[in-house]
Amino acid sequence: MSEKATLFDDEFLKKLEYLNVVSNHMIPGHMHGEHRAKKKTDSGIEFADYRQYVSGEDTKNVDWRTYLRTDKLILRLFEEEADLPIYIFFDSSGSMDHGAPPKFDYARKIAAALCYVGLLNQDRVNLVGFADGVAHELSARRGKHQVWHAFRFLESAQAGGATSMEKAFKAFFSTRRRRGLVVVVSDFLDELGFSKAFDMLRHFRQDLFAVQIHTPGEARPDLPDEVLLEDAELGTSQRVRVTPALLEAYAEKFEEHCEEVGGYCRKNGWGYLRTTTDIPFEDMILQVFRQGRFLR
Amino acid sequence: MTFLGMSSGVIGLLLAGTVSVVVYLYWLKPPPQRVIVPSTLLWNRLLKEKKKNTFFDRLRWWFSLMLALTIGLLVAAGTGRPELSASGRDLRNITVVIDNSATMATRTADGFTRWEHAVANAGRFLRQGSASGEFLILDTSGQAPPGDASDRRSALEVLAGLTVSLGGEPQFPDLPEIDSEIFFISDGVMVSDAPPEATVVSVFEPAHNVGITAFDVDALPSEPTSYRAFVQLKNASPTAKLIALQLSGTLDVGIRDTLTLEAGETWARSIDLRDFGRGPIRAIVTTNTDAFPADDYAYAFLPMRTQTRVVLVTPGSTYLENVLADVPRLSLEVVRPASYNPQTSADVYIFDRFAPSEAPPGPALLFLPPNVAWLAPTLALVEDPEVSGWDRSHPVLRFVALEDLRIDRAARVSASASNGQRAGPEVVVGDRSLPLVLLSDEEERIVRVSFALEDSNFPLHPGFPIFLSNTLGWLMDEQIALTRAPGRVEVPIPGATVTDIEGNDVTAWPLSDRTVFMADQPGFFTLASDDDRRLRVAVNLASVERSSVNDSDLASAEVVAAASTVVAAADPGPSDELWIVLLLLALLLVVAEWVTYHKRVTV
Repeated sequence: MSEKATLFDDEFLKKLEYLNVVSNHMIPGHMHGEHRAKKKTDSGIEFADYRQYVSGEDTKNVDWRTYLRTDKLILRLFEEEADLPIYIFFDSSGSMDHGAPPKFDYARKIAAALCYVGLLNQDRVNLVGFADGVAHELSARRGKHQVWHAFRFLESAQAGGATSMEKAFKAFFSTRRRRGLVVVVSDFLDELGFSKAFDMLRHFRQDLFAVQIHTPGEARPDLPDEVLLEDAELGTSQRVRVTPALLEAYAEKFEEHCEEVGGYCRKNGWGYLRTTTDIPFEDMILQVFRQGRFLR
Repeated sequence: MTFLGMSSGVIGLLLAGTVSVVVYLYWLKPPPQRVIVPSTLLWNRLLKEKKKNTFFDRLRWWFSLMLALTIGLLVAAGTGRPELSASGRDLRNITVVIDNSATMATRTADGFTRWEHAVANAGRFLRQGSASGEFLILDTSGQAPPGDASDRRSALEVLAGLTVSLGGEPQFPDLPEIDSEIFFISDGVMVSDAPPEATVVSVFEPAHNVGITAFDVDALPSEPTSYRAFVQLKNASPTAKLIALQLSGTLDVGIRDTLTLEAGETWARSIDLRDFGRGPIRAIVTTNTDAFPADDYAYAFLPMRTQTRVVLVTPGSTYLENVLADVPRLSLEVVRPASYNPQTSADVYIFDRFAPSEAPPGPALLFLPPNVAWLAPTLALVEDPEVSGWDRSHPVLRFVALEDLRIDRAARVSASASNGQRAGPEVVVGDRSLPLVLLSDEEERIVRVSFALEDSNFPLHPGFPIFLSNTLGWLMDEQIALTRAPGRVEVPIPGATVTDIEGNDVTAWPLSDRTVFMADQPGFFTLASDDDRRLRVAVNLASVERSSVNDSDLASAEVVAAASTVVAAADPGPSDELWIVLLLLALLLVVAEWVTYHKRVTV
C-alpha cells in the first residue's frame, strides 16, 4: 500500500498541474477541439461545404436559393465535432519491473500524466496495460473527474509476464475502436519483434506515439567477467564470458534496437521518444508536448 | 641440470604440482555471478553473431594457459636453484675439513675473519667439483655431523651451520674411507696434524693481539678475608704494544693500569681487591689494534665474607678447635654433645662424631655422625679404605690435595637419593660405593665426612685449614665463581635458570643432576635453582694457546704462497646457478601476461 501511495503523491500531482499549465501556454486554445476530427455531416451548426444532392436523401438541407439560381439540387453540409480517442498502452511485462526506480513506475507516471492532460482536454482516454496480451484495461473515460479513477487503476496495475504487443493490439483492436492516438510506453523488448504490432496499428489506421524507456544500465551494462544472465520475463539464463569488446558490441546492439524502433516510427510519420529512468518524468512529458503530436 | 635448493625428487613433485594446480585453476569454472536482466533478447542475438569467434577464443584460452604454465614452471624450477651441470669439469669427490678453532675468529687486514675466509674457500671447493660428485664437510670442533659424503647441497648446508668454537680441544677429525680429494683449511695455530694426503689451504695472516691469558679471584689461605685478583696478559702481536688494563666491579671503584709489553712477552700480577664490593669483577685489556677480541675481557666473582657464628659440637677435637679458632672473622662456640641445645642459633653447625636427633636449623658440617633419622644411615664400617679420587674443581676442594690421605676406618653410607630428596648427595671425595665426603644441597647445605679426623691424617695436611675454610664458604654460599671455557657449559646444579651479567635469560637445558647451557663468548652467568640457591659461572677464554694467534705452522711465506695458488686454482668463476635468470624470465612473462590480459589477448 505504501508503494502505491508513493507512486502518485502530492509532489507528482503538483508536477501534473504544472504540466497542464505549461501545455496551455504551449498551444493556446488547444482545448477547443482543434485537435479533434472534423466530420462533414448533414447535421451540425457550423456550415462547412456543399455537395451534390443524391436522390433519396433528406431534402431538409437542400439550398433552395441556389436551386432557384442554378436549377441544381445542392445540399448544405455542416461540421460535426468528434472526440479523438487516446489509447494509452503501458507495458506491464516482467522486463519493465527492472531498474531503480523500476521502468514500470516510470511508465505508469508517464501514462498518468498523459491521461491527466487528456482528461482535462475533454479527450476520451483509454488506459491499457499489456504484457503477453491485454493485462489491465480501463475503458474510455472523459472529463476531469475521471482522473482519480484512472490513477487508482494505474496504481493497482502490476508488472509480470512476457511481452507480446502484437497479441495485445490484436485483442484490443479486434473490437471496433475508433481511430485515435495510440500512445505506447514500453521498452519494446519483445521476443516477436515490434514491427508486426506496429503494422497492425497502421492497418487500423491509428496514429502512434511510441515512448521507449530503458534504464541507463541497460544501454551500457556493467557486468563481471563471468556472469549468468537471467531473463526477468522468461526465466531463462545464459552464461556469458564478458569482455570489454562484448560490452561494446552489446551497447551497439542496444543502440541499433532503439534506432530500429525510432526509425520505424519516423518512417510512418509517427511520434517517437526515447528516455531513461534517470530523466525526471516531467521533462519527458514536456518533450512529448514539444513534439506536438499529443497536443494539437 | 642439478638442483641445489631441493632434491631431484622434490623438484619433480614441485613441477608436477605446479602444472596440476595451474591446469586445474584453468579448468576450474567458478560459479558465475547471477545477474537478472530485463531481457536476454539482445544478448542472445549478440552471442549468436559472436559464435563465429569461438575458435579464436579457444586459441586465446590455450595461449593464456601456456603462458601461466610457463610462469609457474619457471618459478617452481627457480625455487629449486637449478644449476647447469659442469660438463667440462673433473668428476671427483671433495672432502673439506675446516678449522673452526678459537684463533680462526682472528680478524685479517681486509676486515674479514680467518673463519670467513675459510668458509668462502670451502664454498669454492665444493662448487669446483662435478655436480654429480660426492661432497663432505668436516670440522675440527665436532660440529659437523659425522657421516658419509652426500650431495653438494647438503654439504653447503652443513657448511652454513658451522661456527667458530672458542672452547674445547680442536683436533683433525677422522676421515671416512672414501676416494676423495681432501682440503684442509686452517690458520695452522691450534690444529696442525693434517694427514699428508690433504691439501692444506692456509687462511693465516699475521695479526695483532693482546689477551688475558689468566684471570682469577681468590682469598689468600693465610688471610681468608682478603681477596686478590690474579691477572696474566700476553702480547701475541709481532710488535710491542702499549696496553691498558682495567678492572671494574659492581661499585664505582675500578683499577686502571697501563703497561708496555714487547712482542711475545707475558705479564702477570696479583691485584688487591679490598676496595671492591661483592659481585662480578670484569677485566678488560685494550690496545690500539687487536684482531682477536674474544680474549680481551674476562670475568670473576668476588664474594664478601662477614662475621660467621659457628657452633662446634664435639666430644673434644684439638684439631678442629685450634684451626677454627685461628680463622679470622669467625665467632666460635664449642659445645659438648651433652650440652647441645637444638635451639642454639648459629650460621654454621659443626658436629664431630655427634648428630642431634633433629636436623639443625642451618647448614652443617659433620664428621662421622652416628645414625639419626635425618641422615642416611651408616651401612658398614670399612677398614683402611682407599681414596679413589676427588673432585678438584669443586669449591670445597679448591687448593686441597688429598694424594697422601690415609684413613684407618670410614663409614659406608648410601649416596643415593633418600625419600623427599630430588637428587642424591654429591660425592666429592671417594666414589659412590664408598663416599668419603658427601655434599647435600637440599633445604640446608650439609657436608658429611664419613670418617673421624682422629682416624685419619687429614688434620695434619696443609690443605685441612683450606678445606675447612672452603667448606665454611660453601656452606655460607660464599663460593667464588666456577670457571669454564666457552662452549657447552655444564654446572652441577639441577634444574636451574641461567641469566647473563645483564640479567637476560639464557637458554638452558635443566637436567636432573645438572644444568647445561651454551656460552659462545666469554661472559658471566648466574644460575638459580628453585630453592633460591645460586651459583656463578665465569666463562673466560683465558688461554695462552688461544691468545697466541700468530703461533702458526703455516706462517712461513712458502706455505702461504702455495696455499694461495691452490685457492686461485679452485676458483670456479661465475656461478652457474640459473634461478635468477628463471625468475627474471617469469617476471617478464608476468608483465606480458598482464599487458595481454588488459588488451584482451589472453583470458
